[in-house]
Amino acid sequence: MSESERRHGRRRFLKTTLKASTLLIAPQVIAATALGRDGAVAPSERIVMGGIGIGNRGTYDLDCFLQQPDVQYVAIADAKAARREAAKKMVDDKNGNQDCATYRDLRDLLARDDIDAVLIATGPNWHAAASALAARAGKDVYCEKPCTKNITESLELAAIMRRTGRVFQAGTQRRNLPHFAFACELARTGKLGKLHTIYAHPAGMATASSGWKPAEPEPPREEADWDLYLGPAAWRPFNREILNDGFNFEKGGGLVGGGVLEWGSHCVDLCQWANNSDDTAPVEYDPPENGTMVARYANGVTLVLRNEGWLPLGSCPVRFEGDQGWIETGDSGKFVLSSPALQAGRKVEEIGGYPATFHVRDFLNCVKSRGKPLANADVACYSHITCHAAGITAFLNRPLRYDPQKNEFIGDEQANRLRGEALRDPWRI
Amino acid sequence: MEKLNMSKLRFHASLVLLIGAVAALYTLPARAAEDANATPVSEDQLIRVLESAADPAEKAMTCKRLVVYGTGQAVPALAALLPDKELSSWARLPLEAIPGPAADAALREALGKLEGRLLVGVINSIGVRRDGQAVDSLAPRLTDADLEVATAAAVALGRIGNAAATTVLEQALTSAPAAVRGAVAEGCVYCAEQLLAAGDGAAAASLYDKVRTTAEIPPTRILEATRGAIVARGADGLPLLVEQLESADRALFGIGLSTARELPGSDVTATLVAELQKVAPERQPLLLLALADRGDAAALPAVLEAAKSGPAVTRIAALGVVPRLGDAACIGTLLEIAAADDAEVAQAAREALQALPGDNVDAELVTRLSQAEGKARLALIAAAEQRRIVAAVPALLTAIDDASADVRTAALAALGATVTANDLPVLITRVVKTPYPNEAADAKQALLTACVRMPDREACANLLIGAMHQAPSTAQVAIIEVLGAMGGPQALGALAAAAKEGNTDLKETSSRLLGEWMTTDAGPVLLDVAKSVSEQKYKIRALRGYLRIAKQIELRPETRVEMCQKALPVCQRDEERTLVLQVLELNPIAPALPLAVSLLERPSLKDEAGRVAVVIAEKVIDADKAAVAQAMQQVVAAGGTPEVVDRAKALAEQAKR
Repeated sequence: MSESERRHGRRRFLKTTLKASTLLIAPQVIAATALGRDGAVAPSERIVMGGIGIGNRGTYDLDCFLQQPDVQYVAIADAKAARREAAKKMVDDKNGNQDCATYRDLRDLLARDDIDAVLIATGPNWHAAASALAARAGKDVYCEKPCTKNITESLELAAIMRRTGRVFQAGTQRRNLPHFAFACELARTGKLGKLHTIYAHPAGMATASSGWKPAEPEPPREEADWDLYLGPAAWRPFNREILNDGFNFEKGGGLVGGGVLEWGSHCVDLCQWANNSDDTAPVEYDPPENGTMVARYANGVTLVLRNEGWLPLGSCPVRFEGDQGWIETGDSGKFVLSSPALQAGRKVEEIGGYPATFHVRDFLNCVKSRGKPLANADVACYSHITCHAAGITAFLNRPLRYDPQKNEFIGDEQANRLRGEALRDPWRI
Repeated sequence: MEKLNMSKLRFHASLVLLIGAVAALYTLPARAAEDANATPVSEDQLIRVLESAADPAEKAMTCKRLVVYGTGQAVPALAALLPDKELSSWARLPLEAIPGPAADAALREALGKLEGRLLVGVINSIGVRRDGQAVDSLAPRLTDADLEVATAAAVALGRIGNAAATTVLEQALTSAPAAVRGAVAEGCVYCAEQLLAAGDGAAAASLYDKVRTTAEIPPTRILEATRGAIVARGADGLPLLVEQLESADRALFGIGLSTARELPGSDVTATLVAELQKVAPERQPLLLLALADRGDAAALPAVLEAAKSGPAVTRIAALGVVPRLGDAACIGTLLEIAAADDAEVAQAAREALQALPGDNVDAELVTRLSQAEGKARLALIAAAEQRRIVAAVPALLTAIDDASADVRTAALAALGATVTANDLPVLITRVVKTPYPNEAADAKQALLTACVRMPDREACANLLIGAMHQAPSTAQVAIIEVLGAMGGPQALGALAAAAKEGNTDLKETSSRLLGEWMTTDAGPVLLDVAKSVSEQKYKIRALRGYLRIAKQIELRPETRVEMCQKALPVCQRDEERTLVLQVLELNPIAPALPLAVSLLERPSLKDEAGRVAVVIAEKVIDADKAAVAQAMQQVVAAGGTPEVVDRAKALAEQAKR
């Protein structure tokens, strides 16, 4: 049985066993009438959630969560007032009341005992630090990608989730889409023969950090809390351009920058899955050349990051090649096979547009079962490490070798210094 | 003296250049690799920037460079920035990264000079560097009046995790102020992890136990310590695991479930199986899921027993687990359950059959298919369909003439998923001349499912086209729909012929399908249909399909514009001409301009054509000024909205320059 079928089965399984999870979910003090709608799911069976940093992408994620019958949002935290209020309105509209609490400081939201889980969609600067805070506060975490800024954060995040026993789902929702899962399954199970090359679209590979822009008058803290927005990033004066670009601010950290993280955190993640290498990373990296970057795994498989040369199958494409066949797929939900025979025995639902609904459901099911979602912290750890190692290679512009057991570059002290980055006070991972 | 002044001048000049280079490094989103390699700067020069009166921004960027290039030499200059509120966090970037004792010493020294958040930052850096010599300095901070400082000290001691730090934290677990105790517990957990990593499970377990049993420790830390205490003990941790699984506390039960997945060994599986019998029914599905995640087939007998009887939720959960642990030996049990009365349980069993792994499962299912009856037969047919068992085809060919309509319908669907080219004619015949008219839709769907997956699409299309000639009208429509779903040159040709020469039903269906065609080779066919059919409805439909290809399917802009040029003479309505303008606007190349201008003469389209012409002209003006000047004069002459006319005038003027 494929992983996606297994998850599908689990979805159905949990649908029929919702009641069994009652004991894992904190009883709610909110009256059933306050939950609005038809009350199909009893309050005691609901997962109570908070949203942290709900901007553009977060709004989409929040909507996916609000569609779930067993989810109850009660609070929003954001350093920006306008986004706090917009997200609160979404929640209140869903709940049919005005009760969603808002917080400027995420720590106040995390201090609430009644919240089981949080959605973190702040922007990459805060993802790992907020996830760590949430896990230490006893909350399960759904965190948008890229989840970490560097290799050290990737390792620490996985360790924290293991230590605290919290459920973590990286927002790499393509793991829970049938065509991507099918493509990975063909590769993983040898249907393509011996796998030799896997391709990921990184959506660029430039390493550009956020820098220090000219100082501008700082707005009142209640409108936009600059200190909180900067969070773990090194201090710099207020600048509205930085404030309004949380999507890019400190992506890949302040030292190396975004590199291949934008789509790589999706596409490299799928390649990791296809290569059965969720617990490791490539051991050799070559710097970019003509828009293409190559890395090699210890098992001999080559990872190619390339921006061009894809079939028209939509964004975030991947391609897996073995000595007996290949498959390429992307966000259209369609895939192309080297031979139709590769699909024998399988029915693959075509779901285009990369919805996160299934991924969200996988997370919620695991909140109840205490199992591991498909994009759990261990999986996300090495997907991100691969991207970060590629980013450091591009930054230093020289070939690097990496030891995934020791998690250090071999014979390159400068590269090793770029594995982590000091967090601004008082934050820590 | 003069010599010295010259030297100073040279230094300042190089400093200015250096600052400029560093400033460029951060203001441009440049490839850092290129900057790093193309502008080599010595550490001395970087240090001088830090020591100069340079702007904070420049010093900050210099700190970043020292992360890669700094050594102990840079430490004093960096340490001097630690009390600076703006630059402290920048200085800690290299201070955390530079190897060697100098950075450790500088951070330790800063402990006595800083307070508040800056002190917290320095303590955090000491923790990251795991500086064992800092234990004595950090220990007194556990009672610091500033809670953030005390918390940071506890965590940093835990990160250091040597014997001295462990002793300090263990003592503080009971003696520290209550507000700090959670952080001390966190530090203890880090120490215990390091003990475990070093192979001292007993010491780790002891420390974990102390954390989880000490008063006034936050519940989240107790959960962490409980998990740790189980893992550190290995197999000896089972009683503690069972304690959690039987706990009335939800959180402890939860940590028991996640730890049960983490802990290796057959003893753990056996323990969970035993617990399955003891726990309340509402907890059984969660234990079953934990067993499934462990992947230990030793649990299978217990899972199968749970599937056979008991509360429905537990049975359904167990059936969901069977495919993750089971094999062909489970088929009999699953079939029995699939034939049972409880619909939900039976469905779960059918799904388990469909997902059961193992090389010999398909063969066993086929063997049973020819002997089974009733619900079991239906379950096996559904399994053959979902698993696409080609070996089941002979049995399915028999089943399509079964006395039961349910069996016939299920078998047709299964054949759609399994039949090969050799047996395809059977499905074609079912469509052309079905013995069960009420099941015609099932037959068509089965044929469609089969045809779209045939490896030789063109051969399959030829078979279908050949069958069409002898088929009644309704069957011809069904075959055309199948051809439409398949795609390919033969199918396209058949649809084109049907769209031009077929009866009304065929024209209706084929023109609709052509209008949805996904490959560019349908373009000429659609244009031909648009030109040749007499019925206005099909003419419009074909033309719109043609323009849809020009607009949506991946083509070179030149090709799209060329398609517009061919479409315009065929257009009879403004609606289609508007579509042409949309394509032209999306492809603003030089040949598009005269096409847009040609529509100025139509009063109803004058405004839109003028607007699109201006959009195109703005893009191509540098390439062909003369053409733009002429076109814009025509736009101005035609009139239109004031905004468009103004833009056209400006472009005409620009084109003259």
